[in-house]
Amino acid sequence: MLARDVMDTRFHLLRPGDTLTDAVASFHAAGREEGRQIFGMMVVDEDDHLVGMLSMYDILLFIQPKHMRIWGEMEDLDLDRLFPDLLGRARNIRVGDIMTTEVVTTSPDSHILAVADVMVKKHIRRLPVTEDGRIIGIVYISSIFNRLLTGFLAPEG
Amino acid sequence: MVLIRKRSVLAGLKVHEVMRRQVIQLPPLATLAMCINRLVKNKISAVLVVDDDAPVGVVSKTDLIGAFYAGLPIETQVRDIMAGQPLCCLPDDSLESAIDRMHGMGVHRLYVVGPDSSRVIGMVAYPDIVGLLYRYCRACGNSSARGRNAGSAEVDILGLRVSEVMTPGAHSCPLQTSLAGVVEQLTALRSGALLVVDEAGIPRGVVSKSDLVLAYNHGLGIDQPAKMIMHAPVVSCDCDDLLAAALQLMLLKDVQRLFVHRHRPTQIIGVLSLSDSARFRSGSCRACISGRLIAGE
Repeated sequence: MLARDVMDTRFHLLRPGDTLTDAVASFHAAGREEGRQIFGMMVVDEDDHLVGMLSMYDILLFIQPKHMRIWGEMEDLDLDRLFPDLLGRARNIRVGDIMTTEVVTTSPDSHILAVADVMVKKHIRRLPVTEDGRIIGIVYISSIFNRLLTGFLAPEG
Repeated sequence: MVLIRKRSVLAGLKVHEVMRRQVIQLPPLATLAMCINRLVKNKISAVLVVDDDAPVGVVSKTDLIGAFYAGLPIETQVRDIMAGQPLCCLPDDSLESAIDRMHGMGVHRLYVVGPDSSRVIGMVAYPDIVGLLYRYCRACGNSSARGRNAGSAEVDILGLRVSEVMTPGAHSCPLQTSLAGVVEQLTALRSGALLVVDEAGIPRGVVSKSDLVLAYNHGLGIDQPAKMIMHAPVVSCDCDDLLAAALQLMLLKDVQRLFVHRHRPTQIIGVLSLSDSARFRSGSCRACISGRLIAGE
């Protein structure tokens, strides 16, 4: 069982110049199209080379105030009222400004046990599959889980 | 008679008690685009450049703006623009000596090196020190930083006002000033931000080093006008506001400085920066100041 057997060949791409608003809209649109929640996408340059990944976590990290620990101690603070400001400053930000640039990829011929090993150890939920420098698919940790553990549910013997 | 020597609320603190352990690093061959990505993503002002774990340089927003001004491509490597050996301190140094050193050398951060002095284990920077002062203030019974004390008579007497700590005067430029002009002015003033004003002299926004760094990353030309990248509205407070409230506003809004107005927001008379506040070293009321006076500072 190889990466190519579990990878999803429907995938969605972002560009570094897209605004965060574009990116969030793309997450929603892709989710509707695929009938599943999409929490991360690959980012490619003009030559379709993979240059990064943008996930929900990257966006949440950016929205968070830097001194959140102090905020947490201010029980008299109305956090709901301050939230629009936090969103406001995200309007100037583009995908390339906050994407993760250190991207781990796999080849379509890697065994899924090896792929699972990388994903678990590096806390990666989605792994681009590349061949000759081109993106050909994406492996989700849920697909690997489903494929590897289906046997669990079957009656023994 | 025992004289209690309490020089400032930071007295007695060691660097390792307050340092930030997460230090964002890049190798010398990383591009400026990657460097800006790390700055924005982590809301920091400088990245440490390490070669095989050994610190070899620092790239700050100021360096990046210099590269923008010089027209260097965004793919330039950080080793080509980084400033030499990072300034360091030791985990056992007193926080006060670290602040003196930062002020003396005109830097906003010091890296903390461990016993093996070739490895960086943390950093101290002004925003973290102000955060510490503010938390100290909130925990203090006299404090105006605590909601339930606000408006009490003691706070009125003891609470420091913004005008007592701010730097008077604020520099500005017209809406049409080119980004190159903004960089020149910021460099000459050694300042982090400029007020952008319209023909009537009314403040319309602010251009900070962060805005310039983003413009560089977004491929904007250095000849574009300031109004294109400024952020608005101007975050300001009144000169008669309590320092505690101003510090809270700065920490909440994640800004490095507040513009200070008198009576109405359009009349800006000064700037309160995080570094002013950190160097002040006291909490936000006179209960702390009197402690400093005993030590004869």
